[in-house]
Amino acid sequence: MRDYQGVVMTTPVSLGYQRQSAHGAPWFIGMVLRELILRAGLSKPDIEGLAISSFSLGVDSVVSLTQHFSLSPRWIEQADMGGVSGIVALRRAARAVQAGEAEVIACIGGDGAAHRSFEHTAANFSSWSIDAAFPYGAGGPNAVFSLITSRYMADFGATREDFARICLDQRYNANHYAQALLGHKTLSLDDYLSARPIAGPIHLFDCVMPCAGGEGFLLMTEDRARHLGLPYVQILATDERHNSFSEDPVQQRAGWACYRDSLYTRAGLGPSDIDLLQTYDDYPVISMLQIEDLGFCDKGEGPRFVRETDMRFDGSGKPTNKLPHNTCGGQLSCGQAGSAAGYLGLTEALRQLTHKAENNQVTTARTCLVSGYGMVNYDRGLCSAAAILQGADS
Amino acid sequence: MNLKEKMKRRLKLNRPSLRARARPPKQRTAMGQQFTAANLPVSLSMQVCTACEHHQYPPAELCGRCLGDTLRYQEVNTAGQLLSRSALHHSLWEYYKRRIRIKPWQIGSVKLRCGPVIIGHVAEDALQAGDDVAVFSHSDASQAAVLIIVGATTPIATPAQRNDIVTALCLGQPAEKKGGI
Repeated sequence: MRDYQGVVMTTPVSLGYQRQSAHGAPWFIGMVLRELILRAGLSKPDIEGLAISSFSLGVDSVVSLTQHFSLSPRWIEQADMGGVSGIVALRRAARAVQAGEAEVIACIGGDGAAHRSFEHTAANFSSWSIDAAFPYGAGGPNAVFSLITSRYMADFGATREDFARICLDQRYNANHYAQALLGHKTLSLDDYLSARPIAGPIHLFDCVMPCAGGEGFLLMTEDRARHLGLPYVQILATDERHNSFSEDPVQQRAGWACYRDSLYTRAGLGPSDIDLLQTYDDYPVISMLQIEDLGFCDKGEGPRFVRETDMRFDGSGKPTNKLPHNTCGGQLSCGQAGSAAGYLGLTEALRQLTHKAENNQVTTARTCLVSGYGMVNYDRGLCSAAAILQGADS
Repeated sequence: MNLKEKMKRRLKLNRPSLRARARPPKQRTAMGQQFTAANLPVSLSMQVCTACEHHQYPPAELCGRCLGDTLRYQEVNTAGQLLSRSALHHSLWEYYKRRIRIKPWQIGSVKLRCGPVIIGHVAEDALQAGDDVAVFSHSDASQAAVLIIVGATTPIATPAQRNDIVTALCLGQPAEKKGGI
């Protein structure tokens, strides 16, 4: 696979996080686009490419949005793949820039959160879910992930205290990130353990809060970014895999395990060289699978790893065994803004690696691994993706 | 109140939480409706590929293994192994919300010996992951086929036996609300 020489990521935008909103997805996508153009010092015709991810565009698509926003792009892409949409949009756009199909591409994920819209999305997620998953208790994703979580706990001895490690450290990070919807509240182990039960081992603080919001960034040639004076990030390696290990009766690994070695080889790095990690944390067990499959520890060692590792962004805890993880609080503390949640790790990585994060800046941030997971078509998430990014100064 | 006003008021109040009778999700795709129809006369029927013997579930138009248009419904072995189970304390659907107020709703996933992994309602509290189980289908209160998981030794050979299990789960009756519309 060719490298991403000459293409860079820049201008992270996160905005509009609200628990419920009267605005539709085009509002969030358009507001992100507006911010991207303003912050990068571009004008609308400079946006030659547009990649969009959203669950709530309804009958509209990226095509409709070009007319809504009076854009005339020569490259468009729709990546409605939930938790991998950001990385998939990044991969497609980076190649397009490299091939000269567009010089500047805006990648945007955005979703509204109308009253009772989550119910509608959950009830109509996929044909297999309609026929064979939703009718059983109508728990939505909580139900499917409770089955995955309880099997993982039984097989590998994980406890609720282990999952709490992920949730608590992320909440600490969110307490230092202004946009996190739950960032104004602290979370203690007692709060976590005594939370109301939702589904099997999953309790309130293991669940993300569905919300509205938009996330986006720009992909452009390195020359253009330099010319515009924008701080940027280099893409060292990326990969994706879908419906991996389909013979496993219960999901305990996913595509990352297929391409992990090749991903690190292409990046010229190993897990120990990664300064910060952004996983897709729709449920803590899924972050644990990513930590294992991406080589930070062996399969089944996730619980021990999180017990021994401090995942807060700053100097809290012991100086050894540090791995800042989901440094803005992840979805567990920011809220899950539909498809924008698949961009959250990338925009946060961009802020960190360009040293533009505010109160939650990781001082040593040079390399970041971002991973995505998504689309529970029936009994498991089918998509997995990962990207290794590096700050340009190093 | 004339009829027009009455209907307007009804429409305004016609939200799931106010209905006198709540039922399980009825929505199915065309494939799901075929599954319901094929399961009416037998304990468990699934699509089997006449070309490659692949057992297909959830139902689909093409065989997931050989991509042939050769799937036919036939009665299959009900035996399997319980992979995982979970008690739901929260639901997005009014019917289950009312059931959960009485006790948590039990679901589980099973690897059937004939191949597919299914999600179903768990009828017995004692079942644990790894146990041998049997899976049968039955119509619920929305007249859609759902899968029920019982212990491997529970008798499910006759329609009456299966019906008793479904009745005990209260799956066959709507969840009532006094004073609802």
